[in-house]
Amino acid sequence: MRVREEARSGLEVVLVDIWEGTEPRPEVERFCEMWGIKGPILLDPGLELAGALGVRGVPTNVVVDSDGTIRAFGAARLEELEQAIDELYGRS
Amino acid sequence: MAATGEREDPAFPVGAACRIDSRSPWRQIAEIPVGLDPEGIAVDVKRRRAFVACSRSDFVSVVDLETHGVVREIATGNEPIDIGLDEQTGRVFTADAHSDQVTIIDSAMLEVETTLPVGGYPSGLTHVPEFRRLYVGNSLGSTMSVIDLDTLETIATVDAEPGAGAIGVDPTRRLVICVNFVASSANFYDADSFEEVGRLEFVSPGTCAIGIVPERGEAFIVNSIAGTVSRIDLDAIEVKEEIRTGSAPVGLTMHPSHDRVYVTNRGAGSVSVLGVADGAEWSQIPVGGGPGGVVVDPHDGRILVANAGSQTMSIVEDLLAARPPAPVVEEPNPWIGSKLPTFALEDYWSGEQRTNRDWAEKKYILNFFASW
Repeated sequence: MRVREEARSGLEVVLVDIWEGTEPRPEVERFCEMWGIKGPILLDPGLELAGALGVRGVPTNVVVDSDGTIRAFGAARLEELEQAIDELYGRS
Repeated sequence: MAATGEREDPAFPVGAACRIDSRSPWRQIAEIPVGLDPEGIAVDVKRRRAFVACSRSDFVSVVDLETHGVVREIATGNEPIDIGLDEQTGRVFTADAHSDQVTIIDSAMLEVETTLPVGGYPSGLTHVPEFRRLYVGNSLGSTMSVIDLDTLETIATVDAEPGAGAIGVDPTRRLVICVNFVASSANFYDADSFEEVGRLEFVSPGTCAIGIVPERGEAFIVNSIAGTVSRIDLDAIEVKEEIRTGSAPVGLTMHPSHDRVYVTNRGAGSVSVLGVADGAEWSQIPVGGGPGGVVVDPHDGRILVANAGSQTMSIVEDLLAARPPAPVVEEPNPWIGSKLPTFALEDYWSGEQRTNRDWAEKKYILNFFASW
């Protein structure tokens, strides 16, 4: 999803890891190896950001505009995310 | 989050479609902390206990369904994902994915009785009392193990496809259906000969749970990536309908009356209630974070949900007696249009703190994920 969306829209996709229950680094390392992930990854083991936003599930995508405004929230289905990106760029 | 509309409607007063006079079509009973990454639940109706497979804790939490307390943690193999209980023998079975085995627990003594080797990475199991059989889907082995529930002998190891996991059985048609997550397919076998009698390939990847309604000749299979449930005609072996659910559905169980299906939405923290006859989403019941495994307690009809994210088991009640008059309405998330809260989080690669300022004046996507 990340590669496709970054290539398609130029948007940077920032992964935020939550809910590992244990030390997240080894789990994230395995995850990155398995899926070949290289982009930015933030660790949120204490749910600082996820809790503030009330994230209830994974995956959850939060689309952020250049002024910091949240334009879409959730958008787990590919078509939902693509629609949110189109709206972000005023293409819909 | 989606919610069923609860506005007053003179033609259909609130409560008329509910089992109790309530403004809400559901009721939260409890959310009980268990081990890490709970994925599967089995119910011991006689002893009023739930067995919760906690995959990252490598144990089963035993929950007293009357007091809502954890009474025991029983060590299993590595990464117990799915779980089932055979009432006739009182045995609990866990599919221990990273140990390539099934652990068998004595539900009376709350002790491990023995273990059985199966194929690579078993991630789903189903027991069928009528056949006295346990079926195990081995994801990496691309096989299905068939085990005698009484003698615990492996009767057959049947070729399936990559990601074999969830298994459904139609005792009426004597059909066994193995759902393959990676291949995004389902294999249909004759229950006696284990010969493959049909195969379905799904458009979207991530098929991961199944429920059967023999009297309608139908199966329901979850498509986690598409966010749908496929309605399958078991006689024609073809997809009849795609039913939309909440975000990232992963678990499924049938209501005992077979009039509705419960689907856990890992991406939404909810359970979708889908009507079997009408294929409509009747409601969405909020549960804990990142829900997966789901069962109905036959004793009282309550829904038990394993929440992998919040590391809890939810107990909720579905109060709808039938399809509600108002459909589920998707409500926009209240954060839309607001500023993202300021944050300072550790960068996995560099170990440095990164904040909103690092993405100032850029458009970007935050993708919340968990490695499980």
